[in-house]
Amino acid sequence: MRSHPAPRVLRPWRRRFGLITLAGVGLLMLTGCSATVRRGWEPSTRDTTNQTGRIIDLWVGSWVAALAVGVLVWGLIIWCVVAYRRRRGETGYPAQVRYNVPIEILYTILPLMMVGVLFYYTARDQAAIADTSAEPDVVVEVVAKQWSWDFNYVDENVYDSGVQVQLDGTPGPRATIPKLYLPVNERAEFRITSRDVIHSFWVPAFLYKLDAIPGIENTFQVVPTREGTFAGRCSELCGEYHSEMLFTVEVVSRQEYDRHLQELRARGQVGRLGADLNRQGAGNGST
Amino acid sequence: MTAAIPAPSTPVLVPPRTRKGRTVVRWLSSTDHKVIGHLYLITAFAFFLVGGLLALLIRAELASPGLEIVQNKQQYNQLFTMHGLIMLLLFATPTFAGFANEIMPLQIGAPDVAFPRLNMLSYWLFVFGGLVAAASFLTAQGAAAFGWYMYAPLTNNMYSPGLGADLGIFGLALAGFGTILGAVNFITTIVTMRAPGMTMFRMPVFTWNVLITSVLILMAFPPLAAALLALGADRKLGAQVFDPANGGAILWQHLFWFFGHPEVYILALPFFGIVTEILPVFSRKPIFGYKGLVFATIAIAGLSVTVWAHHMYTTGQVALPFFAFMTMLIAVPTGVKFFNWIGTMWRGSLTFETPMLWTLGFLTTFLFGGLTGVLLSSPALDFQLSDSYFVVAHFHYVLFGTIVFAMFAGFYFWWPKFTGRMLDERLGKVHFWLTFVGFHTTFLIQHWLGAQGFPRRYADYLPQDGFTLYNRISSVGALILALSMLPFLWNVYRTWRSAPPVTEDDPWGHGCSLEWATASPPPRHNFTSLPRIRSERPAFDLHHPEAAATGAVAPSADLLGRALDGRPERDA
Repeated sequence: MRSHPAPRVLRPWRRRFGLITLAGVGLLMLTGCSATVRRGWEPSTRDTTNQTGRIIDLWVGSWVAALAVGVLVWGLIIWCVVAYRRRRGETGYPAQVRYNVPIEILYTILPLMMVGVLFYYTARDQAAIADTSAEPDVVVEVVAKQWSWDFNYVDENVYDSGVQVQLDGTPGPRATIPKLYLPVNERAEFRITSRDVIHSFWVPAFLYKLDAIPGIENTFQVVPTREGTFAGRCSELCGEYHSEMLFTVEVVSRQEYDRHLQELRARGQVGRLGADLNRQGAGNGST
Repeated sequence: MTAAIPAPSTPVLVPPRTRKGRTVVRWLSSTDHKVIGHLYLITAFAFFLVGGLLALLIRAELASPGLEIVQNKQQYNQLFTMHGLIMLLLFATPTFAGFANEIMPLQIGAPDVAFPRLNMLSYWLFVFGGLVAAASFLTAQGAAAFGWYMYAPLTNNMYSPGLGADLGIFGLALAGFGTILGAVNFITTIVTMRAPGMTMFRMPVFTWNVLITSVLILMAFPPLAAALLALGADRKLGAQVFDPANGGAILWQHLFWFFGHPEVYILALPFFGIVTEILPVFSRKPIFGYKGLVFATIAIAGLSVTVWAHHMYTTGQVALPFFAFMTMLIAVPTGVKFFNWIGTMWRGSLTFETPMLWTLGFLTTFLFGGLTGVLLSSPALDFQLSDSYFVVAHFHYVLFGTIVFAMFAGFYFWWPKFTGRMLDERLGKVHFWLTFVGFHTTFLIQHWLGAQGFPRRYADYLPQDGFTLYNRISSVGALILALSMLPFLWNVYRTWRSAPPVTEDDPWGHGCSLEWATASPPPRHNFTSLPRIRSERPAFDLHHPEAAATGAVAPSADLLGRALDGRPERDA
C-alpha cells in the first residue's frame, strides 16, 4: 500500500532552492577568510601564548565537524518537512516501516567513530595544555580572595595586592584594576589557591582558566609569546562582588618586568601574602 | 481547564455544573492520578512564570553596563540563584511528574497509579517544599544567593548568613523527597499494573522514559537529599562536613554533580518521550527503530551517572580523559534518537498541527545544544568555555529546547485528554513562532558572548569589554520570549470558556497509544473497555485496522501451549 511515492521530478522551485543554498555556502566560505572567523571568534590569536594556536585549531576543527553534522541533521529534518508533507487531497497511509537494521547499525557506528576521533585530539591537546613538568622561568603564586587577587612573585620575594574594582557603568575604573606582570617568551608557572571561597582564574586571551580552591593548590604553566595587556576575570561565583573581581595581565619585556618588580620592592612589598592570612591580617605580609 | 471531573461511573461529554468550592475541595483531597497530574502541571507552570519573571529582571539588568534594575549585586545573585533552582527543581522536575501522572497510567491501561495516596503525598511535599524555598525572598536578607549549584564554602554561615539560605536548602530537600516518592510510585505502577498484552516492548516510548527517568531519580536524588541535609547540618548544627580544611569544597562538588548531571537527563528523557509520542501521530507512521530507541534511552541513563565530573574540569582535581570520553559517548545514543525521530518522519505523510510544530522546534533547537555539548565535553576547549555565557547558552538550548518546547508540544497534544477541549490552533502557532524567535534571539548570541570572555553570574561589566551590544540583543529576545506566553494564557482561557467539547476518543485521528482509546477526558478509572494490545500502537490498530497489517502476526501452532506454560508471546 505505497500511496506515497517520493516525488522524483526536480521542480523549478527546488532548483532555485539549490541555487540559494549554493550561494549561502559560498558566502560562508568567503566570510571564512576573515581572521575573526578563522579563529572561531576566540578573543585571542594563535601567537598569544604557546598554547593558543593549539586550542584555536582544536576549536575551529571541532566546530567544522559539529556544524557538518548539524547541517546534515537539520537538512534531513527540513527535507522531511518539505518532501513528505501531506499534500492536499491525499488519503490513506504511507508504508508502515518499523525498522531497518543496517541503517540503524550504520547510524550507531558512525557517531562512535567520530567521537573516537574527537577524543584522540582532545586527549592529546589537553595533555599538552595541562603539562607542568618543565622547569619554569618565573613562578607566580595567585591567591584569590573576596573580591580581588594577591600576586606573589615567588622567585623575587615580592608581592602585589589588589583591591576590588569599583564598577559604575563608565569606562573609568581601568586604572584601579590589579595588574599581573609576566615577562614575554618566558615560561610562567601559576600556583593558584584561595583564601576564602572558590574563585576561578581566567585570562580569556590565554583560552584557559583554573579554579582557586581553598585548601588546594592548582598549578599550570604557560609561555606568553606576545606583549600586551589582557583582561582577566574571576569566573566562579564568589559572592556579592563577583563581577568586580577583575585583573589584567601585562605581558612585557624582561627589562620592564624587572623594573616593575623593583618598584614593588621599593614600595616595601617584600615577602608573600599566603592563603593562610586571615582577613584582618591581610596587607601586613608574612613569611 | 475545566474544573469538573466526570462522575465516577460513566464517561459524560458535558460535565455537570458544580460549585467552585466543591471543586477546590475535591481537587485538593483527590487521589485520582489525573487530578494530581493537573495539580502538578498547574503548580509547576506557576513556578515557570515566576522563574521567567526572575529571568526578565536578570536580562533587564544586563542590558547595559551599570546597576539599573537591582539595588545591589546581592539581589542580582538572588535572582539568578532562585531562577535556576525554581526552573530546575520546582518547574521542570514536577512537570515530569505531572505528565507522568496524567498520561502514563492511561498508556499502560491502568486504572490509577500503584499508590494513589503516596502520589498525593508526593505532590504536597513538592508544594510545601517549593513554597518554603520561594518564601525565602520574604526574609530580611533575601533568598539564597550562592548559585543553584551551591558551591561550598560560599554556602556556609560565614559567607552566606541568613534565614533565606536555610529556607532554600531545607525547602528543596523537602521537595526532593516528593520527587523520590513519586519515582517509586511510577516504577511500581509500570512494573505491576500494565494491562494484559502490554509487554515491556509494547509500552509507549513515553512510558519507557518515565520508567528509566524514575530509576535515574532513585540514583540521583538521594545523594542530593543527603548533601542538602549535611549542608543544613553544617549551617544549623555546626557540623564540618563541607569545611574546606577537610576537602569539603571538592566533596560538595562531587556529591552535587553526582545528582546534578543525572538531573539533566531526568529533565530531558521524559520530554524526549513526549516528542516520540507526537512524531508518529503526525507522520502517520510507527516509530522507526522502536527497540533501538529504548536501548538508546537506557544507554543515556547509564552513561549519565558516569559523567558528573565534566562540570569540574577546571577544578584541576578530576581525571580529565575518563570523564571526557564518557561524556562524548553520550552523543552516540543521543544521535541514535535523532535518527529514530527522522526515520519516523522519513517517507511519512506529515501535517503540522501545533504539537508537531513544537516538536520540530524541539528537534532543531535541541540539536544545536547537543552539538555545543560535544564541544564542551572536550577539556581542552572547556577550559575557556566553563562558567562563561557559552555554557549558559548551551544548557538553555538543551533544557529550554527540550523541556519548554516539548512541554508545550505535550500541552497542545494532550489538552483534549486533560480537559475534553482542543486548544486553539491559530493562537498555538502564534505562540510557537513568538517563542521560537524569542528563544533564539535570547540565547544564540550568548555563545559569542561566552567564547569572548563574559563570565556567567556577572551582575555588571565594563563598557570597554565590548559585551554591551550582545547583551542588549539577548535582552530584547528575552522580552519577546516573555510576550510569547500571552497568546498561550489567552488560549487556555478562551478554550476553557468557549471551545466545544471533544466528542471522539482520538481527536487527532491517528493516535497510537492507549490514552487515545478512551474518552476525552477519561472516566474516573480511565477505561470502560480495553482494546486488544498486539503492538506498540493499540489505539491505532483499533481505529485503523486496515493500516495495522504489519502488527498482525498469524497465530502460531503452539500458541495455546505457550500460553499455558506462561511463556510470553513473541513480539510482532
